[in-house]
Amino acid sequence: MNQARILVVDDTPFNRRLLVRLLEGIGHAAVEAEDGRKALERLRDTSAERIDLVLLDIVMPDMDGHETLAALKADDVLRDVPVIVISGVDELDSVVRCIRMGAADYLPKTVDPEILQARIEASLAQKRLRDNERELLATIDRQRSQLARFLSPQVAALVSSADGESMLAGHRREITAMFCDLRNFTAFSETAEPEEVLGFLRAYHAAMGELIVEHEGTLEHFAGDGFMTFFNDPVLQPDHAARAIGMAIAMRDRFAGLSADWRRRGHILELGIGIATGYATLGRIGFEGRYDYGAIGNAIILASRLSSEAAPGEILVAARTFAEAEADRPILAAPGGDRTLKGFSRAVPTFLVSGLGERVGGQERTTEGAST
Amino acid sequence: MTLDRDTMARLLEITGGDQAFIDELVDTFLEDASVQMDALRAAGAAGDIDAVVRPAHSLKSNAVSVGATVLGDLCRALEADARAGNVPDLAARIAAVEREIDQVRQALLGERSAR
Repeated sequence: MNQARILVVDDTPFNRRLLVRLLEGIGHAAVEAEDGRKALERLRDTSAERIDLVLLDIVMPDMDGHETLAALKADDVLRDVPVIVISGVDELDSVVRCIRMGAADYLPKTVDPEILQARIEASLAQKRLRDNERELLATIDRQRSQLARFLSPQVAALVSSADGESMLAGHRREITAMFCDLRNFTAFSETAEPEEVLGFLRAYHAAMGELIVEHEGTLEHFAGDGFMTFFNDPVLQPDHAARAIGMAIAMRDRFAGLSADWRRRGHILELGIGIATGYATLGRIGFEGRYDYGAIGNAIILASRLSSEAAPGEILVAARTFAEAEADRPILAAPGGDRTLKGFSRAVPTFLVSGLGERVGGQERTTEGAST
Repeated sequence: MTLDRDTMARLLEITGGDQAFIDELVDTFLEDASVQMDALRAAGAAGDIDAVVRPAHSLKSNAVSVGATVLGDLCRALEADARAGNVPDLAARIAAVEREIDQVRQALLGERSAR
């Protein structure tokens, strides 16, 4: 048991002396106050040493034990300082009232030092436990908000959720993956000043990041000019294919504003997007000390290949994704042909998405003949 | 009983047998008792029953702590009546408290000189 600094609040010198003596006898440091007002002054004095516990008499002139206790419990800083009420033999009603008001315990005026010590220890242990708990919660909160800056909000929430561990360990699920990268970025970074390149990337990441958050996509990684986002994991999204397509269209439109600005400065930058749906294994990928929440599967490779295959400004979507998305909402698209892609033995049927259709009187307008 | 010796023995025991400290504590008690007695006398002279409560309470509480049983009982009854707002024979009861304080003082100091 460490030494505690204990404030003895009692109006009679006899009781204060006796308590101070008993406290010192069991190794604590005692500070005295002769009424509630002086006790509060001492407790609020930030230049003085911190008080760990208060022994409080009930009947005192000026400001009595009840008033003092009420003031302590109403004070955000002092609320958690444990208070043990010191009561006379015929003050049981007052003791009950004090405990209801938040006193930690009560003791008679003439107390055996061993009992005094045991009650003080118990009250301080309870306080330490509460402090630890609060500290722990604050740490978790801080970590969660820090994590949210490094990870997708969905992944950050997953890490601190109850079933986080089993989800992180790895699971199979159907997802829609979207790859997005810039055309001409290499040429741009060779001709532009490094500050310009970084400035552009910041604006590009900010704009795309905002849309990812808005569409609730899980960003797997940003890598310079490209990034991969997927849907339906860790949070289930039954409309994952339609969401991915909706986000791709929003990105293409947002990017048009950014690139027009850069075109005026002589830099031609274009976006290419590929989207595919399929089963993937998701979870912690990496090594001890550096893990990412990642996805592995054919759909991811396909989305990546489609994004390389897409011409500047195009959104090239696997036929399966298009079919699933179309079931959820009308989409304007044209057949993109069967594409022969590296690593895929059979040609992959595709669609070129140009925009979202409108729902008119229950009739869904979908596939169009032409696209941009 | 003017002075319950068990109570004094217990005070000595819980302070680790420090007789010098107990003597100081007794002095503190006696000094405070005369302060409270002055307040009680003033309240009695003014017929101010509200002003009786605090000194009666302090005296009772300290009397119980040193084992002054009779003084404790007298003050407890006085405090209770004063809180209720009606103290029959106020002057006589204050005088009784004063006499008992003298008895307790003699007993406590007698105890000390007998050692």
